[in-house]
Amino acid sequence: MTVVLQQGINGVVLGSLYVLVALGLTLVYGVLMQINFAHADIVTLGAFCAYFFTERLGGDYLQGIAVAFVLGAMLGWAMNAAIFAPLREGGSELLPLIATIGVSITMENAMLAWFGPIPYAFDSPYSNDVIRLGAAYITVQNALIIAVSLVTIGLLYAFMKFTLLGKALRAVAQDRETAGLMGIDPNQLVMLTFVIASALAGMAGAMLGPVLVLTPFAGTSVIVKAFAIVIIGGFGNFEGTILGGLLVGLIESYTTQYLGPGMIDIVVFTLLLMMLAVRPTGLIAEKRDENV
Amino acid sequence: MSSSEPPQIIPARVQALMLSRHMAFVCAALTIAVLPLVFTDTYWRTICTVCALNVALAIGLDFVLGYAGQLNLGQSAFYGLGAYASTLLVTKLGIPFWVALTGAIALSCLAGAVLALFAVRLRGHYLAIASLGFAVITYQILLNWISLTQGPLGIYAIPPPPAIVLPGLPAIDFHNLGNLFYLVAAFALLSYRLLDQLVRSPIGEALIAIREDEVSAASLGINCGVWKVFAFAVSSGIAGAAGCLYASVVGTLVPDAFFVTESFTILAMVVVGGTGTLVGPIYGAILLTVLPEFLRGIGDLRLLIYGIALTLVVFFMPGGIIQAARLASGLLQRLALRRTAR
Amino acid sequence: MTAARPIDSMPSRRNIGILLRAQGLHKRFGGVQAVHDISFDIPEGAVFAIIGPNGAGKSTLLNLLSGIYRPDAGSIVLNGVDLTKLSAHHRVRHGIARTFQKIRLFRHISAIDNVVAGFHTRHDIPIWQYIIHGPAWRRDRERCRDEARRLLAFMGLERRAHLLAGSLSYGEQRMLEIARALATAPCLLMVDEPAAGLNAAEAEMLLDRVDVLRRNGTTLCLVEHNMDLVMKVADQILVIDYGQFLFKGAPTEVQRHPGVNAAYLGGQLHEPSAHCR
Repeated sequence: MTVVLQQGINGVVLGSLYVLVALGLTLVYGVLMQINFAHADIVTLGAFCAYFFTERLGGDYLQGIAVAFVLGAMLGWAMNAAIFAPLREGGSELLPLIATIGVSITMENAMLAWFGPIPYAFDSPYSNDVIRLGAAYITVQNALIIAVSLVTIGLLYAFMKFTLLGKALRAVAQDRETAGLMGIDPNQLVMLTFVIASALAGMAGAMLGPVLVLTPFAGTSVIVKAFAIVIIGGFGNFEGTILGGLLVGLIESYTTQYLGPGMIDIVVFTLLLMMLAVRPTGLIAEKRDENV
Repeated sequence: MSSSEPPQIIPARVQALMLSRHMAFVCAALTIAVLPLVFTDTYWRTICTVCALNVALAIGLDFVLGYAGQLNLGQSAFYGLGAYASTLLVTKLGIPFWVALTGAIALSCLAGAVLALFAVRLRGHYLAIASLGFAVITYQILLNWISLTQGPLGIYAIPPPPAIVLPGLPAIDFHNLGNLFYLVAAFALLSYRLLDQLVRSPIGEALIAIREDEVSAASLGINCGVWKVFAFAVSSGIAGAAGCLYASVVGTLVPDAFFVTESFTILAMVVVGGTGTLVGPIYGAILLTVLPEFLRGIGDLRLLIYGIALTLVVFFMPGGIIQAARLASGLLQRLALRRTAR
Repeated sequence: MTAARPIDSMPSRRNIGILLRAQGLHKRFGGVQAVHDISFDIPEGAVFAIIGPNGAGKSTLLNLLSGIYRPDAGSIVLNGVDLTKLSAHHRVRHGIARTFQKIRLFRHISAIDNVVAGFHTRHDIPIWQYIIHGPAWRRDRERCRDEARRLLAFMGLERRAHLLAGSLSYGEQRMLEIARALATAPCLLMVDEPAAGLNAAEAEMLLDRVDVLRRNGTTLCLVEHNMDLVMKVADQILVIDYGQFLFKGAPTEVQRHPGVNAAYLGGQLHEPSAHCR
């Protein structure tokens, strides 16, 4: 029973991290109908940023998370301005996607050239302290992850549902042309979406650093699962992403325990493929009919 | 764009001959025949052979991506399936090489058809992720099913194909790298011929219609689902055959050779060459296989070059090498016209 | 696979049979009943128009007929064949073709290639010749290109044959869509707002083409807003509103029907024609 509880906690921790990464993806897709493969590399850069801030510059870890958040935001701004905005004019559906693949490969391998393939030992000051929950335990780092994730998700949710800007974002997601006619500037909102999504990614990277193996491929290892989550939860769907993230996190930790770590990807992706076969719009999402 | 022809510098007949596909075919065959005579060392012969493999992979992907418009990121899976299937059939079951090759192709075609069933219902982005997921699953299976594939340790000492003995001719021994290159290049040439014929037939018209607009394609009687499955099956069959040959060329099989980045590599070759032209990906494959060899000192960063090339092409020359060639030839014609006008 | 039917070589016929019978069609999208219990017959050889205010469900009706949507209830029978359960691409083989309200051409290929794509159901090539192009393939290709050129000329596009479809003018694109639909050799051609965006000359030409098609035995079903065009060319008009049947009859009857006037025309049928640019 302890094992089940322990793995459950681990699953929630993992899940919260995945949700942070996936939320960025789902936000961008909801507003732009576009998948950004380079999202993964923003996560990785966020992790490295926090690493250098704390280990090399001697900064405080929590501040490091904030720095990564800002770095992510700046990267998001740059990516949108340099990549997505120019390509959006073209009207091709696949070209922007392929562009993000190109950018992702470039960034990954540039980081490989710069940082090298050997993992960096990233220990946050909280990695070693432990909180006991009955027979199970949770490291303070992990508790921090859950706490930050919850707060972030809560804030984002409130922002989308209750603020004017958030509603404007949802308007642009549903019908860009009409939103434009209503006086909302879609381009600015798209930029805002990107910035928020990438900031989330950077922050997630900073928190993932101590948990995962820190190499230039750290983000990529997470991103493919994040894609799975976004599809399982439904592209563009908030509640679905949160649900999907927790589900995948729990699946991962229980699979590791009972089937072995090698099976994780297989289980998660088989689930993904089944989901796509049976219900491509995700657990909760509404159908978006194409107008003929 | 006017539809009248600009005055010709080169007489039309000669131009037609130069550009005819038969001429191109002859040139390609000649180049292939000559290459092992130019490169006599093992290293460069291997590069040429790998180049030919990449050409086959690239044109296979172009068939699905450039003509049918489906972003298939699962090529690495079919490549790996073909390689492992044929090798295991030969080493564990003692099946003759050529039969195993057929088996590998059949398995890859089947896998491609299964993936295509997703394509039938999913739009671009979903399919990209589904095919990526497929590639990840396949890689993980190859990596973790140790009893079958020996996992990360890999399979070693894979023999080249058995010598072909034709009556009246000396045996063609494939321990000779030159002969192996001819075999692989012949395979690539054959694949190109097959795809070229398909593309210029009503099947190609149907695929292009599907790429452009599925709804109106259906309104013309085109069964989009069936043709997508067909495109995937052909493309994955070619990748599977290439995988089988890869095992013979390299002699060892490790799962890491079929990691998902391989799919991105093939994608880069297609896009850099020119999506939807069939000829472009040939140049893209050759360029991206050979270029890292000339950039010594960068050494292991093949992927970085691919990433940069892919990104630059998408931004500045989405039509790839073919588009660049057309622009260049148009420019040259205009310059020549101005010369003669004076 | 039927042999190619040249456009202007068929004698004119007077037909009184029913080509298409739609009965009790219903279609609901979420909370909206787009089509509610609509039935009508399209006589063979007629020009049948469907009119109604915006949002009345005209395009939905067309989508039901062509197979993009399946009706929740009701049946569609063409020439005695029940089409209701057939998918869109299947119906083409039974003789239905259509164009779209929002132009859906294959923009990155030439005009003539667009039309050639329409011959998909009419090729006459043994399977192996798809891989090794033999004499049957060559003959079929010649035949297709010849007939495609004829169709392009029929719609006034012969000089645009090799231009990319995306680079044609709006009016030319509309004509090309019709030429492409005609390539399937339909017995029923459904056109969704063909005159939308056409100038006066183009609309005149469209009228003329519709007339030639009718004389050659093609039945036409027109969804149209341009009342001048409809009154000039239609044999029968179906008026729908809010997805429901309002009236069906000859143009003169429709003009006089008070319900139609109230719902749609605002009582001003003799307004001078206002062509869209």
